Amino acid sequence: MMSPPSAEPPAPSTSSAGPPDDWTFRVDALTKRFATLAANDSITLRVEPGEVYGPLGPNGAGKSTLVKQTIGLLKPTSGRITLGRFDLVADPDAARQLCSYLPQVQMPIDSFHVVEAIELAGRIRGASARDVRGRTASLIDSLDLGEWKDALGHTLSGGVKRLVGFCMAIVRPGRLVILDEPTNDVDPLRRRLLWEEVRALGAHGCAVLLVTHNVLEAEKSVDRLAVIHKGRLVAEGTPSSMKAADRSQLRLQLMLTPGTATPALSPWAGPAVRVGHNLVTAIAEADASTAISWAAELTSAGVAEEYALGAMTLEDAYIRLTSHMSGDGDDDGDA
Amino acid sequence: MMPELQNASVIVPHGTVERGAKRWWHDYAVMVRWHLSSLRVWLVTLTIVQLLAGVGFVLGISLFFVHVPMTAALFVSTGVPVINLMTVGLILGPQLVADQKSNGSYEYLRSMPVSRSVTAAAWYTVCLIGGVPAMIVSLGVARLRYDLPLHVSPMIVPAVLLTSFAGTMLGYALGHAIGSPMATRLITQLLVFAIFGFAPILVPLSQMPRWLGTLNWWFPFRHMAVVTRAALTPGGHAAVLSAYVVLGLWAIACAGLAGRALGRRP
Ligand SMILES: Nc1ncnc2c1ncn2[C@@H]1O[C@H](COP(=O)(O)OP(=O)(O)OP(=O)(O)O)[C@@H](O)[C@H]1O
Ligand SMILES: [Mg+2]
Repeated sequence: MMSPPSAEPPAPSTSSAGPPDDWTFRVDALTKRFATLAANDSITLRVEPGEVYGPLGPNGAGKSTLVKQTIGLLKPTSGRITLGRFDLVADPDAARQLCSYLPQVQMPIDSFHVVEAIELAGRIRGASARDVRGRTASLIDSLDLGEWKDALGHTLSGGVKRLVGFCMAIVRPGRLVILDEPTNDVDPLRRRLLWEEVRALGAHGCAVLLVTHNVLEAEKSVDRLAVIHKGRLVAEGTPSSMKAADRSQLRLQLMLTPGTATPALSPWAGPAVRVGHNLVTAIAEADASTAISWAAELTSAGVAEEYALGAMTLEDAYIRLTSHMSGDGDDDGDA
Repeated sequence: MMPELQNASVIVPHGTVERGAKRWWHDYAVMVRWHLSSLRVWLVTLTIVQLLAGVGFVLGISLFFVHVPMTAALFVSTGVPVINLMTVGLILGPQLVADQKSNGSYEYLRSMPVSRSVTAAAWYTVCLIGGVPAMIVSLGVARLRYDLPLHVSPMIVPAVLLTSFAGTMLGYALGHAIGSPMATRLITQLLVFAIFGFAPILVPLSQMPRWLGTLNWWFPFRHMAVVTRAALTPGGHAAVLSAYVVLGLWAIACAGLAGRALGRRP
């Protein structure tokens, strides 16, 4: 949780003047073409204040293209992007003031001290010097960055640099906070701290657009997910609703012995995906004991080194939706 | 209402979009600090370039002569300030932007909630901060070494402001309006070469072939030297007015190009 001065619960999205403002983020039939490629193809979505919304999708799916149009770095070919009563496409000044943004790429902080970079980012976003000092100290503390607070940007490791960029984006968050792969290069413990800060943003009434490849971790931190594939939004819902289709299924995973061919699957198994030496398939709960003896046989025959049977994960749902495999081992968010 | 509101304001900004003069000046002050900090790793390079240009050139000419002719000393000593003024804006500036474009951090800069005029004005201020002290040091050294008949007129103020502005905006356009960072670096390096060797800043116009002099008329560097020299030396000066006009036009055109490139959404 966050430490003072930001520990108190906020009064979200009520402004002292006039009626309570509407700060819903809406994307309507958004299309962006690069020459003939439709990087975004008629995407429609909405994110309520306080909601953490996570677009997922394979490389090149169009996630960054979506967020860049929101912040005004790219112009949509057609469609609308609004935040409350503000049209972000027609008014990029408003977009930049109302949204805070962590780009997927590097931050320009090589010559900055860590604290200085975060504080200046907050000042540029209009916060007072006093507020920004308190908030920066609390972020440094809650993300465990104290060791580096006076270091120069170009001396930082990749993960720490990423976390500093994250702090710069949320030191004074906008009504919409856009985070394009904030956990890249960040160690597992600090990733957990980062997810807590993301949750806190939601609790404080920000709408959060969180792009990530960390499917399993995202599951615990986002309210809703969207799967984007080849520029189209192919599925949307809460993490549990996304897994609903797989509910009566189990996940059977075989770690094949290097150099062996993919074994023929029995009729009770679903379609299998092989990446490297990993073979994953879905089976019905009723077939569990059959599957275990089959897998055990393969293991003792030396075809597989080991096997695992478990509940379907969000990653499986994601793979089913995008027919992609995200290379098991290198996605270190495995439960 | 409740005491929490004060803290909540840190977390969630008010849902208003500010565009007034007050916001402009606030952003300007913060962006000056931002730009100054972004030069921190260049500080050593900057100091070396300024010293080389200033003290190096001023004292360097004495290596060529047994007795340095006063005209030569005066010419170089009044040309070096132009180099000092252009170092940050025209030479370092475009490289900085090219680096930001290459490493991707340009994207964050473009997403900052400040207007283009704020960023440009703050950068110009920083270029003055990086140039004027060096210029004063160079002139001081020249004066001590050669006992020059310098005559600083009040016109030094517009001359310095405009010379630095034109150089800064040219650098700004090179950085922002040229798509490829490689091309930016290449052109900037060529410019440095041209400024030192082929512009009548350190080399008198009379020593140049006629065509080079004519060519120089279309570029801003010759005019920078004319306005700066006119404000530093006694007597009437020809072509000062036209020099101001040409410099002004260059500055406006470059600022426009850079501004357009910065506002472009592909
Ligand atoms: N400026 C551009 N010009 C041409 N094509 C582009 C441009 N930017 C992106 N694309 C293309 O648009 C598609 C979507 O790219 P985008 O960066 O949005 O993907 P992404 O979902 O963010 O992928 P990743 O997970 O790798 O970051 C890709 O095929 C990419 O090659
Ligand atoms: Mg991306």
